[in-house]
Amino acid sequence: MSLLELTGLVKRYGDLTAVDGLDLTVERGELVCLLGPSGCGKSTTLRMIAGFETPDEGTVTLAVDGDATDVTDRPPNERGTSMVFQDWALFPNKTVAENVAFGPKMHGVNREQRRATAREMLEVVEMGDHADDDPTALSGGQKQRVALARSLALDPELLLLDEPLSNLDRRLRETMQLELKSIHERLDTTMVYVTHDQDEAFTLADRIAVVDDGRVRQVGAPETVYTDPDALFVESFLGTSNFVDARVTATDGDRATVAFPFDARLRVPGGNAVSPGDTVTASLRPERLSVAVETVRADGATRSRGGLRFEATVASRLHRGSRYRYELTAGDTSLVTHRRIADRLDVEPGDGVTVRCDAADVTLFDADGRRIR
Amino acid sequence: MSAVARTRAVVVDRPAAALVVPLLLFDLLAFVVPFGFLLRISLSDRLPAQAYAEGTWSTAGYRYLLDPSNTLLSVLGFTLAFAVVVTALSVLIATLYAHAMWRADGAVRAVLIAGALVSMFTAIVVKLFAAILVFSPQGAFNTALVGSGLLSEPLRLVNNAPGAVIGQLYIVVPYSILAVYSVLSTVDESLIEAARDLGAGGPRAFREVVVPHAVPGMLVAGVISFTWSVGSYAAPLLLGSGSERTAGIAVSDLLLRQFDWPAAAALAVVVTLSVVAVLVATRIALGRSGVSSGGR
Repeated sequence: MSLLELTGLVKRYGDLTAVDGLDLTVERGELVCLLGPSGCGKSTTLRMIAGFETPDEGTVTLAVDGDATDVTDRPPNERGTSMVFQDWALFPNKTVAENVAFGPKMHGVNREQRRATAREMLEVVEMGDHADDDPTALSGGQKQRVALARSLALDPELLLLDEPLSNLDRRLRETMQLELKSIHERLDTTMVYVTHDQDEAFTLADRIAVVDDGRVRQVGAPETVYTDPDALFVESFLGTSNFVDARVTATDGDRATVAFPFDARLRVPGGNAVSPGDTVTASLRPERLSVAVETVRADGATRSRGGLRFEATVASRLHRGSRYRYELTAGDTSLVTHRRIADRLDVEPGDGVTVRCDAADVTLFDADGRRIR
Repeated sequence: MSAVARTRAVVVDRPAAALVVPLLLFDLLAFVVPFGFLLRISLSDRLPAQAYAEGTWSTAGYRYLLDPSNTLLSVLGFTLAFAVVVTALSVLIATLYAHAMWRADGAVRAVLIAGALVSMFTAIVVKLFAAILVFSPQGAFNTALVGSGLLSEPLRLVNNAPGAVIGQLYIVVPYSILAVYSVLSTVDESLIEAARDLGAGGPRAFREVVVPHAVPGMLVAGVISFTWSVGSYAAPLLLGSGSERTAGIAVSDLLLRQFDWPAAAALAVVVTLSVVAVLVATRIALGRSGVSSGGR
């Protein structure tokens, strides 16, 4: 039995539909990231799991004491979930230790016991020396740790984290990501983590649910959603890519031939999903393009059985820290690729190059943004 | 260093401090100097035919206060008790009202805010006569209660102590509401959610999160209500029965009818000092709760 099951969640605010039929299942012990742009409905979803919002449609089912229980209409204090807020929401009139002991106090744990719990949890987040501090005097990273300890003190079935690191600077954020991951591994707490930062999601998540327009577009292991996207949105939201509109020229059983706006054709699977004349979007990841400084043989070299192969001109070269970024022009199409300093290309703007891409690395999407397989 | 040189040093070293000077001058002229005159008169000898004996020094005014036959001590006692009752009720009503105002939204909130403001901007005498009309035995309040069968006969709410309290509440509650509302409106909603999330029910979250946050506003509301009620004059006069003599009424009597300025001044000094004592105590209480430093 899954720990959490969201079925057909819908939440409307007036004319705005924030969450529009969202389904998600979370297994015990998992760390699942809800990843999406701001306004995609991921925080609203988290708030419905926590009980701060009531869905207009759909159900929230939690495994409580081994029984799948519909908690859709239960108040937040009767759910066994605990939330770490984006602004941490520490009680300003209580000390750090009192903040952490608050949950146990509300659950009737006696003073000695809850002090011990608070101490223990503050040790877990390495804030043991700050037990009697005023939380408002702490730094952002410290507040973050206290907020985490406060939620962990209840030993929640499900820990909900709403962009908990977004108010920290980059360096601290990276440190905290690794710490969160190690805490997750040590305590084995199930977590649902909302973020708009894909690096964070890739660092932390066992599975990533990519959310857009109030729906889950794809859910899977980080590697899967990155390399094998189901939808154009997923491909474009994760990392960067070159999107090229191409045209289907012929279909042949389950194969199709696609013509690119530059001088190149490619035979791809998915002949049953498209018809000749259809426009499709091809995604060419910058890191999947191989670029060679060589003369292309005149005899049909642009039609390669193994994959995509075409001529291009180097339009610009930009040094960006640890990498070079190259902009290539093929016909009217502009493509981007990059190389680490050690692997930099021996080219200047204006040079002609040959670009190759394995057929398996070209992902195609139909006009509705669905993957063509 | 002369005072002038010292002042100049302050102004030159800390130009911002100079901004306080006009306020200090105003305070000096409007409060410190008149209070000096008051203190001086309270320490003058009483004269039957005149307001006071100019140039004399005497504690006669204060001794007159202490004389049981003049009932001024019981007036003072009633005044303080009256102020305490009004303050307690005012803070309670204001907290509930401000909380409703804070939780409401849209039209309801607009109506509640307008209710507080309109009442504040209405002249005191108008407000008190309105209170008489509403709360008299034939007034709207009693008519409604008797008419609905909740009461068999009208409550007596004017021309007695409850009337005086109601009248005074009409004056101070709007200010108290705004004082409490000003702090409630700064409560971080996510703190309440955090408390709920950690297992607190609604009322418990209110007690654990909202009340500590609201305390400074409630203290300010209490100070406003108390200082105003200790000096109350119009409400007990118009809505009381005549036995609700407050210090304000007594001072006015001594000053204008008995022409006994030293006694009137002595009573005024005692009332003023008791107000100052309450202000100092509140200041200390605010400091303890960490309010004055951080504004939390």
